[in-house]
Parts: sequence; structure tokens; C-alpha cells
Amino acid sequence: MRIGDFKESYAADEALFRTPTARAWLGVLLAALAVFPFLAGDYLLYLANLVGVLAIGALGLNILTGYTGQISLGHAAFMGVGAYAAAVAATRFAAPFWVAVPVGGIAACLAGAVVGVPSLRIKGLYLAIATLAAQVIFEWVFTNWTGVTGGIRGINVAPASLLGFDFDTDRRTYFLVVALAALHAYWAANLFRTRVGRAFVAIRDHDLSAELMGVNLFRTKILAFMISSYYAGIAGGLFVYFAKVVTPESFPLSLSIQYLAMIIVGGLGTIQGALYGTVFVTLVPEGLRSLTQLAQLVSPEAMTWFYPMRDIVFGAMIVGFLVFEPHGLAEIVNRIRRFFALWPFPK
Amino acid sequence: MTCSRTKKLLLAAICALAVPSARAADEEIKIGACQPITGRFAFAGAQLNAGLADYIAHANEQGIVKGKKLVYIYEDTGYDTEKAVATFKKMMAQHSPVIMYGESTGQGKAIAPELNSRYKVLYGSTSFSSELADPKTHPYSFVSGPTYSDQFGILLDYIVKHPKKGKPKVAFFYSDTEFGKDPIVWAKKRAGELGIDVVAEVVTKVGAVDVTTEVLTLKQAQPDYVIFQGYVLAPIPEVIRAARDHGLETTFMSTFWSMDRAIIEKLGPDAEGYMGVNPYAYWWEDAPGIAAMREYNRKAHPEVTYRPNSYIQGWFTGMVYVESIRRVVAAKKPVTGDNLKDALATIKDWDTGGVTGKVTFVNNKAAVGRVYRANVQKTTFEPASDWIYLK
Repeated sequence: MRIGDFKESYAADEALFRTPTARAWLGVLLAALAVFPFLAGDYLLYLANLVGVLAIGALGLNILTGYTGQISLGHAAFMGVGAYAAAVAATRFAAPFWVAVPVGGIAACLAGAVVGVPSLRIKGLYLAIATLAAQVIFEWVFTNWTGVTGGIRGINVAPASLLGFDFDTDRRTYFLVVALAALHAYWAANLFRTRVGRAFVAIRDHDLSAELMGVNLFRTKILAFMISSYYAGIAGGLFVYFAKVVTPESFPLSLSIQYLAMIIVGGLGTIQGALYGTVFVTLVPEGLRSLTQLAQLVSPEAMTWFYPMRDIVFGAMIVGFLVFEPHGLAEIVNRIRRFFALWPFPK
Repeated sequence: MTCSRTKKLLLAAICALAVPSARAADEEIKIGACQPITGRFAFAGAQLNAGLADYIAHANEQGIVKGKKLVYIYEDTGYDTEKAVATFKKMMAQHSPVIMYGESTGQGKAIAPELNSRYKVLYGSTSFSSELADPKTHPYSFVSGPTYSDQFGILLDYIVKHPKKGKPKVAFFYSDTEFGKDPIVWAKKRAGELGIDVVAEVVTKVGAVDVTTEVLTLKQAQPDYVIFQGYVLAPIPEVIRAARDHGLETTFMSTFWSMDRAIIEKLGPDAEGYMGVNPYAYWWEDAPGIAAMREYNRKAHPEVTYRPNSYIQGWFTGMVYVESIRRVVAAKKPVTGDNLKDALATIKDWDTGGVTGKVTFVNNKAAVGRVYRANVQKTTFEPASDWIYLK
């Protein structure tokens, strides 16, 4: 608790960013995000866009798994549904991106509603298998429904365009991605200040008690699936404009698992956690790669040995996090924040 | 007086600074590569990388491009399309090479819009996808040899010339991946034109283990030839064994990735009669181009006793790069992606010293290959045909 931090109104108590320090840091973050594209090159911008797209998906999975306690191994498939819906809307119906991306979100949302139905009866690992089935089925559909999805060759999409402004370079796409990611992070944070959001948490903590308190389990669980898939669908729609092409191989099971890794490493059930986790899982392997690249200066031959080591180091880091901070990166950041709350005085 | 002396000094200083840097920039020609050294494709990635790197080093030694030094830079991508695209951009920003090499079909597709509009470098890759050999959508990319469709075309050509009895019957056995399905539509059309019956089509997962039902399908269809596509090893050995158990007398054939010595070792005696198409000659062949490659390995990597066909694909891609550069330099043009792409299109009846047949690039690919048959005793492949050229 910060000294002298009194809440004098309900609005102050419910504020997302409660202290001047938090608001100042938010300002710094926004300023950094605004300046970044003018300093960074193509490579960093491309990675930033990738992180932004995946972050929206990770926020969605965190709503379902982190907040509502429903595990899903089909998140990549929902992203795929969104991507294909957006690509079809953009290419067949000439929809502009601001229509195509939401169409992707809505399509994934509907798919999520169907896949979520078994969650009423089955829980935990069994639900993981049921959602795994969704992953396999959707992947099969992407590959074989050639008339719509273009089969294995997929669909090529032109860059997004708004009032004659083309989002054709990484720098331009960056603004689109950051705007959408920020908007969705804000919505997700707000969601948990509503009745629905609290009902999600109640279901995660104890579903029977939640039902006794008047939470309609069926409706709420389906809603969690729908919102989560909507986020995945938006991520998918944005992915189409980021990658300019969508193929069935863009949404494999390994991506679903990567999403789970993101929210576990970042911190289950926290908004920041989803964002930290995405940054960690996407950028740390790239950082390690750049480090191994240095070995090329010493001996080009050694690279073939150094490259696989990177995966081992990355794996060890994830295990290390789980052992030393099971609540993820978000908790580490919180601890640092608490340390500085009274700094330089001891607790 | 002093003014003009200062001017002269300044001029001299500028010249001293500008000339060496300009010359250094002229002499080095950079070739970048995004290589799948880790990940699912690692079995080939490390060899592709070694082949490409070795040929470029070999070309430097031989001084094939006069007055220029070729510099090879590579990074691992882990066989991940997004990471590969990121690596591509990173390398372009750091080194601005005039030639790039890509790790997969997916990367080729994802990078195409920016390759055509911004980067404009010559782009070769591991892929034999026919999509990347379309000069309309991918003017800067090329396929290092025949596409998968061409490889099927070469096999079908061979089958027509070697009928077993009556009208030839073939079956296509492929995986439900991009790699598996790529040539199938074209191959069915081609078979129709050649008067070959496609009596069965079997589609499986890549790692399929239980192939009983698939083999029964083959047994019912009784094809003279079965062509595999979209696998490396599994389930090819399983299918061939089960087919032999069922007494099926079919000739099994494959395309490039399943035509390495590894498959003969895996099949053992069942490899008898196994055939397929390879765009390049093998490590043990007597052609002068291959002998030069063995000689280079003997000097640079004395521990190496064998190089798989993926290494030779990398080596050949290096040859195409260097030949394009040589042509641009010989024409006294600046070495840019646009000039390299145009130079590639002029390659006609090019003698590679037997690394492959006579190479002519039409539609960004060289549709040549040879049919080989396994020799179980020697665990080698031996030519079953001469170089076959597709029109």
C-alpha cells in the first residue's frame, strides 16, 4: 500500500490506473510506443507487429483460461477462423479492413460458441482434449475446403487501406496493430470490472458456488468462449493484413501451445501477464538467436551446434520461471513495484 | 593561395576516404540466407546451408567472378515462417545483400509483396513449389531445378516409355500438406494427356504409422507404379513393406526429398526396385562437376565421406547464383537484384559439369531431372534414364 493514497470516491476505487506513479508509467509507455516506429528499423517493427497481433490472441486466451479457468488447446484454430473469414471478406466481397477484421472476430466468436458447448459437461484435461479436437477439425477444414479457403495455397490479401492511406509497410502496419492491441487490452481490463467479468472469476474459483450465487453457468461459460474466440479472431484478421497471406500452416497446434505458454509465463489471470508473456515468448528466442549469431564471428562451423542450444536455453528459462515464480512475469513486475513503493525506506 | 591549398588538401582527403570505401563496396557481393538449421526441417537445412556456403567458398577460390569477392551470410530460422520473414528483413537492413536464400515455400509467399516492391533481390529457396516459379507473381524468385509438378512430369514421361503391360496405371500417394498436394492437380491432367490411368489417390498425414487400409486400397487398384509425394521417410518404408507382404508387384517412385541414400538404408532389401526422380547427380557419380565438389570437400572437410542430395541442392543453388553474378559482371552492369534476375533468364543450355543436365531457365525454373533406381548391394542410386527435359 502506498502512503497517502486515499480513495475518496467509488470512481477512484475502480480506476484502472490508481496512482499517479502508475499513470506516469502509462504515459511513458504510450510515449515509447509512439516514438518507437520512428527509431526502429524494419526488423524490429516487424517483430513489434508480430508481438502486437499475438498479444491480442493471448489476451483472449487469458480471459478464457486465466480468468474463467477453461483450458483451451484450440486457440490457434480460432485465430485461423478469424483470419480466413477476414481474408474471404476482403478478397471475395472487397470489404475494407475495418469491416474484414471485425468479420473475422465475429466468425471466430460464433465458432467459439459451438466449441464451448461441451465445457458445461467436461472440465480440466477432458476439456483440453475436446478443444484439441476443434483444433484438428478446423485445420482440416482450412486445408480441404478449397472453394473457400483456397486449400493449401491459401489466400493472398492486399494491404489494409483507410481513406486512401495504405498500411503497406511495417511502419504503417505498426500503428494499426498497436491501436487495436491497446483497444483490446483496455476492453479486457474493463471486462473484469463488470458483473460478467466477476462471474468468470467466480466460475474459475468454484463453479458450483458460482451457480449457487446466481451465475448462469452455461451462459457464462459460452460467453467466455465467445469473447476469447472473438479476441483470437481479431488477432487472426489482423494477422492477414500483417502477413499478407493466410495458409493452413499458419495456425498449427504448436501455436495453440505457444499461446498457453505465453499466458502461463506471463501470469494467468492478469491483463499485463498476457502482454508480458507474449513479449517474452516471441522476443526472447529472437534475442538468443542474435546472441548465437555472434558465434559466427568466431567460427562459422560452430553455428550448427549453437543453434539448437538456443532452444534448450529457452526451455530452461520457462521451467525456471515456473519453479521460481509460478505466478509469472506479472507477479515479478508487481514485486518490483512493491519494492519501489516505499523506496528508499525499508518495509 | 592558402585557400586553394586547403581546397586541394580537402579534395585529397575526400578522395582518400571515398576511393577505398567505393572499391570495397564494389568488390564484395553479399549473399544472404535464412536457413532452417533447427526445427522440423533441420535434417536438410544444415546440409543445404553447407552446400551453398561451400560452393560460394569454392567459387571464390576458383575466381569464377573476376575481381569480386563473394560473401556468404546466414542465419537460422528454426523453420518458422514469421521468424524467417523477420530474419529476411533483419539481414536486408544489416547487410543489404543482392541475393537472398529462403527456408520454405511459406516464406517465399509471405515475403513476395515486399520482395517485388521494395527489396528487389534475386531470391532462391529450398522450395520446389510451382507457385514460386510463377514469373507473374514472383518475378524475383526461382526454383533450383524442376518444380514438384515437373518432377512428376519427368516420372510420368518415364512411365509412358516403360509400360509394364497395356495402358500404364499409376497411383498417387501423398500427404495432406502443401508439400504433398502441390503437384497433384497438374499431374492428373498430365497423366490424362499421356494416356496414363490414375487408378488411385491416397492421402495421409505426414507421420502416419498404420498404413494397412492405404495398402489395401493400392492392392485393389493394382497400379503399375505408385508415386509418393510430400514425405521424407515415414510412411514410405512402411507402405513398401506392407505392399510386399501383400504380394503387390508395384514399382514405387518418389520425388527429390525421398531420393536420398537414407531411404535405401531404411528399407534394406525392400529397396529393390525403388525408383524416383532426382534433379541432381549423386555424390558418388563420375561427372566432373561432382568430382570438383568431392575434391572441395576432401580439402575443406576431410571428415566428410558422403553428402546427401540436399547438400547438392545447396551447391547447385550456389552455382546458379554465381553464374548469374558472372553474367552481370561480364556484361559490365551493376550487380543489382534486377540485373541478376534478368541474367538468370538468359541462362540457356548451361553446362554444369554433370551436376545436373543442361540448364535452361524458363519461367524461373529449370525443368530437368533424371530417373534413378536403387542399388541395394551398394546402397546407392543408379541412373535408369538419361537427363529428361520437360517442355
